[in-house]
Amino acid sequence: MKQLSIVDLSGAIAVVALLALAPVLLNSNYFTGVLTVCVIYAIWAASWDFMSGLTGRENFGHSLFIGAGAYTAGFLATVWYANPWYSLPTAVVVAVAFSLIVGFPTLRLRGPYFALAMLSASAIMQRLCLIFWEYSGGEEGLYGLDPLIQSPLHYYWFVLAVLVAAVAILTALAQSHWGLLLRAIRGDEATCQAAGINVTFYKIASLTISAAFAGLGGALYAHYQLQVSPPLFSVVVSITVIIMVYVGGIGSIYGPALGAIMLTLLTELLRSFGEYRLWVYTLTLMLILFFLPNGLIAPLWRRLTERFR
Amino acid sequence: MSAILEVKDLSKRFGGLTATRNVSFSLEPGELTGILGPNGAGKTTLFNLLTGFIAADTGSVLFEGQELRGLAPHKIVNRGVARTFQLTRPFLGMTVLENVVVACLSPRARDAHDKEARAQELLDHVGLGSKAREPVETLPYGDLRRLEIARALATKPNLLLLDEPFAGLGSSEIEPLAQLIKRLHREQKLTILLIEHKLREFMALVSRVIAIDFGEIIAIAPPSEIVRNPRVIEAYIGKTEAAHASA
Repeated sequence: MKQLSIVDLSGAIAVVALLALAPVLLNSNYFTGVLTVCVIYAIWAASWDFMSGLTGRENFGHSLFIGAGAYTAGFLATVWYANPWYSLPTAVVVAVAFSLIVGFPTLRLRGPYFALAMLSASAIMQRLCLIFWEYSGGEEGLYGLDPLIQSPLHYYWFVLAVLVAAVAILTALAQSHWGLLLRAIRGDEATCQAAGINVTFYKIASLTISAAFAGLGGALYAHYQLQVSPPLFSVVVSITVIIMVYVGGIGSIYGPALGAIMLTLLTELLRSFGEYRLWVYTLTLMLILFFLPNGLIAPLWRRLTERFR
Repeated sequence: MSAILEVKDLSKRFGGLTATRNVSFSLEPGELTGILGPNGAGKTTLFNLLTGFIAADTGSVLFEGQELRGLAPHKIVNRGVARTFQLTRPFLGMTVLENVVVACLSPRARDAHDKEARAQELLDHVGLGSKAREPVETLPYGDLRRLEIARALATKPNLLLLDEPFAGLGSSEIEPLAQLIKRLHREQKLTILLIEHKLREFMALVSRVIAIDFGEIIAIAPPSEIVRNPRVIEAYIGKTEAAHASA
């Protein structure tokens, strides 16, 4: 399939180098923390894009996998006192299990069932966290998780390495024959079936891959916050991720990852606006989506580098 | 020789409307057969029943001795029954080549090592080789039909179902496409079943015609006889001739 061009590779190296050096140059624990959250959101946005961006089946409950991964880390730490490093693989397994439970019945169907099922599943999980407060800690959630790595800077670098690996793996898959089939499913499911492709299988499989990375990101987030709470399952998280994807440029994997970093930074920079923060943020988003319906980052990158290809 | 396809008592109702009623026919290997019938006679429904896109109420579809009824569309394709659509539906946002590569990735076709090379061969075969790298959006209608055929061939069918391959084409495009279908039939010994409206091209192409009206088979005969069949004339020919005269 498509070869990774020198231009794209140099761009990627430059961005990663910049992200890796930024906390060293700024030398502030607060800013390192902000960047850690940026990078975790980037993992969530890239993982959403792999399934929904490529197949066009929009997932309105990505927070289901995020919350599942985070709570897995929370339970392992507070109930079983497990080594925190077990959180990561376990969170992946649990998130994948959730994706199969929702994906099997709903991805066989066309229409909005999948989007609605994901939305309700995440809302139900948020409620369940409150109902079974004796186990889940209710509103306050679970706290007392151990950090994976003590130094915030080293933890940031670890999370950044996970993002780079995630984007590399998802991009490689998206540009392989597998990705071609996912794009074909977005094009026309009936034509895909007429081409002998098991559409349901590819939709479910891509959802499990998407869920695996989202759950991994959830566990990384839990070990950053050192606590988990029900809002992780909220629709707000899912919608935020979707907005990041659209701003970054849907279907490009790297675009959504950078869109997430940009928007999370924007939220932080706008703190000086105080009460008016949400106004400015929303206005910026509306302007971007209105004038650049294909997103900002990926289309911009393509245009800037056109002549070098 | 035993039949490659044997359809028995196939029926389908949509609410009060009987779209297909007790349809039975069989195809011999290597045969080029046509389905004839006026608009709304149930031709496309019959194709959808054969290919699993619509579930039949009763009856059976035996292909190479195995039951197809109840199988999902992609499984039927992988048994060796490929189809084209009347309204071509290419994968937009992809190149012409990529459109065919998708079908080269189906389980039945997967043994080919280089999918791109195989897709290119198929495009050469249907006369689209020089347009392989172009975005599929740039293809004119006639070429989309060829693409549709290339995609169907990519799944290595033993039986090819063509749903109105000439519909919407200008007269300059029809003849070469008819030649392509003839060539596929002759060179690859493909069994072909095609639905058609355009009487002249159709009659020259097929060796046998299954005439349908109101979801029922009203006659099965060679083209020369079908045009003299009173029921067929009543259901179809009269109207078409009138339409031809006015056109």
